[in-house]
Amino acid sequence: METKIGVFICNCGGSIKNINFDAAREKVAKIPSVTCVNLSSNLCLGEGKEKMLSYIKEENIERVVVAACSPELKEHIFRQVLEGAGLNGHFFSMANIREQCSWAHEGDVTVKAVELIKMAVNRIRLLQPVEKKELSVNKEVLVVGGGFPAISSALQFSRIGLRTTLLEKKPNLGGKLREIEGFYSLETSSMIGAVEEDENIEILTSTEVVGVEGKIGDFTVRIRKGAEEILRNFGAIVFATGYETEVSPQDFQLKLGINIISQERLAQMLQASSVERKPESVGFIYDVSDENSRLPTLATLNNALTLKERWGSEVYVFCKNVKVDSEGVEKLYREVREHGVMFLKFDEKPRISAEDGRVKIEAKDILLGEDVTLTCDLLVAEEKLVPAEETEALSTLLNIRTDSRGFYQDENVHLYPVSSERGGIFFIGGCRSDLDFQRALVDVSSVVMGVYKLLSPGKILVEAERVKVDRQKCRTCLTCIRVCPHSAIQLVRVDNEKEVAEISDLACDGCGICAAICPAKAINFEGYSDEQIVAQIEAIGAS
Amino acid sequence: METRDVLVIGAGIAGLASALGLANGGFSVYLIEKEAAVGGYAASFCCKATDVCSKCSVCVAPDKIKEAVIHPQITLLTNSTIKKLSGELGDFRVEIIQQPRYIDVERCIACGLCTEVCPTEPKAVYPPSAEATPFSYILDEGLCLRFKGEDCKLCRESCPTKAIEFELKSKKQELSVGAIIVATGFEVFDAREKGSLGYGRCPNVLTGLDLERIFNREGYLKLPTNGNEPKKIAFVQCVGSRDENHGYCSQICCKYAMRLAGLVKYKDADAEVTIFYIDLQTAGKGFAQFYEEYKESIRFVQGVPVEISQTSSGELEVRYEDISQGKVCREIFDLVTLSVGISPRHDSWNLAKILGINLADQGFFDIKDSLGPNETNVDGVFLAGTCQGPKDIPDSIAHGMSAASKAIQVLSEFASRRRGNQRGH
Repeated sequence: METKIGVFICNCGGSIKNINFDAAREKVAKIPSVTCVNLSSNLCLGEGKEKMLSYIKEENIERVVVAACSPELKEHIFRQVLEGAGLNGHFFSMANIREQCSWAHEGDVTVKAVELIKMAVNRIRLLQPVEKKELSVNKEVLVVGGGFPAISSALQFSRIGLRTTLLEKKPNLGGKLREIEGFYSLETSSMIGAVEEDENIEILTSTEVVGVEGKIGDFTVRIRKGAEEILRNFGAIVFATGYETEVSPQDFQLKLGINIISQERLAQMLQASSVERKPESVGFIYDVSDENSRLPTLATLNNALTLKERWGSEVYVFCKNVKVDSEGVEKLYREVREHGVMFLKFDEKPRISAEDGRVKIEAKDILLGEDVTLTCDLLVAEEKLVPAEETEALSTLLNIRTDSRGFYQDENVHLYPVSSERGGIFFIGGCRSDLDFQRALVDVSSVVMGVYKLLSPGKILVEAERVKVDRQKCRTCLTCIRVCPHSAIQLVRVDNEKEVAEISDLACDGCGICAAICPAKAINFEGYSDEQIVAQIEAIGAS
Repeated sequence: METRDVLVIGAGIAGLASALGLANGGFSVYLIEKEAAVGGYAASFCCKATDVCSKCSVCVAPDKIKEAVIHPQITLLTNSTIKKLSGELGDFRVEIIQQPRYIDVERCIACGLCTEVCPTEPKAVYPPSAEATPFSYILDEGLCLRFKGEDCKLCRESCPTKAIEFELKSKKQELSVGAIIVATGFEVFDAREKGSLGYGRCPNVLTGLDLERIFNREGYLKLPTNGNEPKKIAFVQCVGSRDENHGYCSQICCKYAMRLAGLVKYKDADAEVTIFYIDLQTAGKGFAQFYEEYKESIRFVQGVPVEISQTSSGELEVRYEDISQGKVCREIFDLVTLSVGISPRHDSWNLAKILGINLADQGFFDIKDSLGPNETNVDGVFLAGTCQGPKDIPDSIAHGMSAASKAIQVLSEFASRRRGNQRGH
């Protein structure tokens, strides 16, 4: 039986003057499948909407084309009318006869308006129904990591009633928390105490993730503790695995030793109750191996200030740029300078050599425009931020790309900063970027929001089989599985014989890459099939 | 009864992120906006893609705006400001004043007939800016003859949908909400305050915001004086940041200047672009690779100019100290862009007074302590986005999501506490 398509043309309150609407109506009525054409002057307003609704019901219209203004303006209103009439919202299309037709040209544009309408009709005539279905989700969250972001997000999940498992590969929770607690008035022991007491939080230490199967709302995670492996189910996974630092002595042509130390070693010395001999002069150097990171600036400023206060040494900082683009850092920088710390900015890498048991630094200071030679008792070398050891293995396991520096999560960072290409998998804190403490805090509560939105209703509404593989045509070439950025495609065995690709409705993002790339044309993206697009193009110039 | 209503003040990118987070999490949101359109500054910025996307994230704004405007859980009130607050966490009462638009947003079909017939010059009824949402015409009280006592009703008579209503008065309403998110945003630094840099005096001195809007609306750059393509272009960093009155870094200017400079070079490979800076801020997810490319094609000079003046032939003379040579240099440019920073809104103190929240020393709203990025001194009132301090678009979105998260957390706790109390009775 022929599908009944209704076309509603609106002249926008009579403001569209260069279309002959009666002629257009006559031509549109002759397009196959069009059973009714209605002319209106106020389709988006109350009266127009009521008329549209009653027409749809009286004429038993199944699919609707609206020819009016840009869909940007009123599309949502027409969709509401369709919903009110009990029609599938998928069977709807708009022809923009105002902005892209009437307003774009001078003189009569009836022919173009009719063609635009015909394109829309041709498209929706071939549409197949897409049903929506509800899938239930697991409401438990897995947080991987044991540092500040991990602990803090577990506590916040618990506040909103989501049960959380905190999984740390080391024997104890805390991570780098103890190193930074002094700067931010944190108490490591009380934070760890809070997670331990929380009945919504389960803690697994000396434990690793070795496998992740499944998809958003329904992950199966293989967990290894010692020789034992168990499987657990979670609705969402948050990775907060942190970063590591390394000092590359080759950048300085010198070995770390008594005179050249890392920021970490300096922090330990500053925390110790006494030192053997207070250094009279200390140099800091960064921007040598990585000039695009904020953490070396932050560590230098914090340590330089403490050093001035505790030891009163002369302090010199060699760098290219002071990274002040974090909250409160410009203020800290000023305070550090007021304490007498000198900043020397170089363009070419300074030369560092040993001299009489001290460290000699030769640099061309671009602020002075002169060569400067300084001899310090101690040189604090740049620490380079590197991804945590397991990052590479985990990213392969998760099939999530890393960025150019090897940290998690390449794409999509700007849409929702903590999410990844795979729904239900999130990255927060130092494992995704070099964040200052304030930004890390924001990451924590923002991931809690993301997970809450996903899991708290207990179910997800998805479009069923919008992107579908034709099992007859699939030749198991695996191209789609390789290109899918969302890991939404898997192989399934059919009738104990051949294996074919299958797309998960839950994990699919509707990007269409698989449909475009499939060499056997076995994947159909409903609404954008070749047939539907060709039918639209054929309408151009046909009248 | 459980309170699931939240008020979000300000519909810029952070406020939208908060509102959408809450609405998609099952909460009801009142989103109030002082202006006639939502989206804030981000809606008017330009895409800075060359052959590749430069990840400026400006394109995120239109999606969020559209999603919020049609979201069934979000009640949008434009032209509205908050007048009074009483109550406490879980049970706030807020008085809102909504100024009349005179043009019904639902009925306006943006056909333009009213502007055609309006007899005043400039027109008293005109289209909103191209990116405005809702896209409804604006009737300007200050220009309309009717508000000057004359009996003109030409626009109302011409309107095919009867969307124009002169008799509307400002409307007062009281809302009951459990929590409040303040997302009132920032003000762009007024470059005229730095008189020696020539903004407002030399037409070819523009600000970063001007350049954003020129690229967004026109798509290419030309000299304001004669319409020619500029060949020598300078960007001056830290205008309204890191100076005696602004003890902070605005966090956005280095990156937008480099991206805009990249865009200028992309559109015209012969253009010579120079960036004058104090410290380049190149940290941040994925920016390093762009910086490596920009270093190849853009000249970076450390040190910011002290004076810009116009020569008799209309070019711009920039006087700066070239630190590497240790002397004062003069150089001629066709166009200079001042990379203006983020300033706190001048009316922040007024809202701070109404809500009872504190201002920090720079004039941004203050957080209670460094462990809570959104919490204010008033329980249940949270901060989102640049009203708390400078942020770029991704940081504002994250901060907005974070504020929504905190609101949900306190309301969940409030509800369970109340249930506990009821059981106790």
